[in-house]
Amino acid sequence: MKPQLPTGKTADPTVYIIDDDRSVRAALEDLLASVSLRAKSFASVQDFLAFDLPGAPACLVLDVRMPGQSGMDFLEHMTEYGLHLPTVMITGHGDIAMGVKAMKDGAIEFLTKPFRDQDLLDAVHRGIEADRTRRLREAANADVARRWASLSSGEKDVAQLVATGLLNKQIAADLGVSEITVKVRRGHLMRKMNTRTLADLIRLLDRIQPT
Amino acid sequence: MTNSGKFKLERRLVLTIVLLPVAMVVIFVGDTVTDYAIAAAVFYTPVILVATRLLPAGTVVALAFACVALTLLSFALTHSGAYEVGIVNTGISIVAIGVTTYLSLKLVAAEAAAHESRERLLRMARITSLGELTASIAHEVNQPLAAIATSAGACRRWLAQEPPAIANAQRAADRIVEDANRASAVIARVRGLASGKAPHRERFDFNALVREVVALAGERGERSGITVRLSLQHDLPAILADRVQVGQVVGNLLLNAVEAIEAKTGGAKTLEIVSETEDGNRIRFSVIDSGAGFRQGELEHLFDAFWTTKKDGVGLGLTISRSIIEANGGRIWAETDKDGGAIARFSLPAGMGAIE
Repeated sequence: MKPQLPTGKTADPTVYIIDDDRSVRAALEDLLASVSLRAKSFASVQDFLAFDLPGAPACLVLDVRMPGQSGMDFLEHMTEYGLHLPTVMITGHGDIAMGVKAMKDGAIEFLTKPFRDQDLLDAVHRGIEADRTRRLREAANADVARRWASLSSGEKDVAQLVATGLLNKQIAADLGVSEITVKVRRGHLMRKMNTRTLADLIRLLDRIQPT
Repeated sequence: MTNSGKFKLERRLVLTIVLLPVAMVVIFVGDTVTDYAIAAAVFYTPVILVATRLLPAGTVVALAFACVALTLLSFALTHSGAYEVGIVNTGISIVAIGVTTYLSLKLVAAEAAAHESRERLLRMARITSLGELTASIAHEVNQPLAAIATSAGACRRWLAQEPPAIANAQRAADRIVEDANRASAVIARVRGLASGKAPHRERFDFNALVREVVALAGERGERSGITVRLSLQHDLPAILADRVQVGQVVGNLLLNAVEAIEAKTGGAKTLEIVSETEDGNRIRFSVIDSGAGFRQGELEHLFDAFWTTKKDGVGLGLTISRSIIEANGGRIWAETDKDGGAIARFSLPAGMGAIE
């Protein structure tokens, strides 16, 4: 599940709502619409899982108590479904222990019904922002990985040694090639990785884990 | 019980009704053809034992008399053997039949009583431990409240737009009305739940009920070192009410009193339970405890829902008690005792005449 989407800046963010209560869903959809946020709601976790998520930044508003799989249970196992959605938990009857567990399981907010509309909107906005940032970072990482993959094995060797701070001369000795070859490969790899300075290259290499 | 289980039981019953007379005839014939020295009549006792398991008490008694009659008849018909030995054996057989009948009927009655009080205890537990109930009530009420608050937020935002989105705001307002009605329906359902079904009224001995409940709650009182004084008027008329429901109220008042006494440190620990007639056609029940009594202004809220004087109380026990007593045609109230403790009282209409 890594859609090769536009960076996410252009796609409209969507708020997903999972709550078994029809009127709560309707009210939430309307509230989000009133601040021009697109929402899509589901009556159960099963319905949500059956839905094919587009790759736009998103936030999930999840009810704790539902027939079938409960919201708490779904939150706990969400990453196993390959989902990384910032999640706002809402519940009609919650206690501190439940709230703590939700936050430990990665929820960004835990609201008890009835909640202040502004609290929910703030949390949803934060969630969307977090998801947008994550998507941008993932897209950028994917780009770096693609560039890295385009390097020849000789160039990869040079890149890794450069990153450790060795001089061309030392790299040449290490790899058993001429210093000229090292210089040529270095030029190629800098171009392919689209970097100008050594510092940039090291930063990029940090984001992928070269194997 | 499953259908097949019921069917099995019915078949067993039919089989027994056929087999019991057959067994009795066999015993009778055996008793008659053997001489006086053989007390075949004692074999009637297993017949009685089987019968008490399956037949109503009246039928069992009739059966026992039949057995005694058959024993006497076969004594008269038998001619062989020593006559004196026959008299003794016949006497022993009749006593055995009588004692067996008495004891087994007692046993069945005791089992039924135990079953009944277990069931009552269960119902009481259900009404006194309200944690689960409140959790689901909270959930049920908070759903529409959440929808209302959220819709109100949306409505405000539609109106604040430039120009205001009147149609959208209207829709949100309609949803608010709908959900408010839904919340009120939930409350109505909870009230229905609390007052229970229409009471099943029967005439019963109120003092007996009080003694049963006191016995159930007694252990708790004993543990806390409370002296319980029962002043039950002995010629109390029977009352006409739902026995189980009234039992729940009595239990609730007793537990409240015990908790009030436990909460107070120092001083006497007494609990007085009084039943008496009131105006001739009502009975009045009072629980007088030596607890801390009521503070200023507490008396008038006592029976309000979700209002409690206890630290971790839910505030439903007395509310439910009131709806039960009122549904049974009575009234319930509280007073302050002259010694500072609390008095909880209710009165109920008497049925006609005393019990038995």
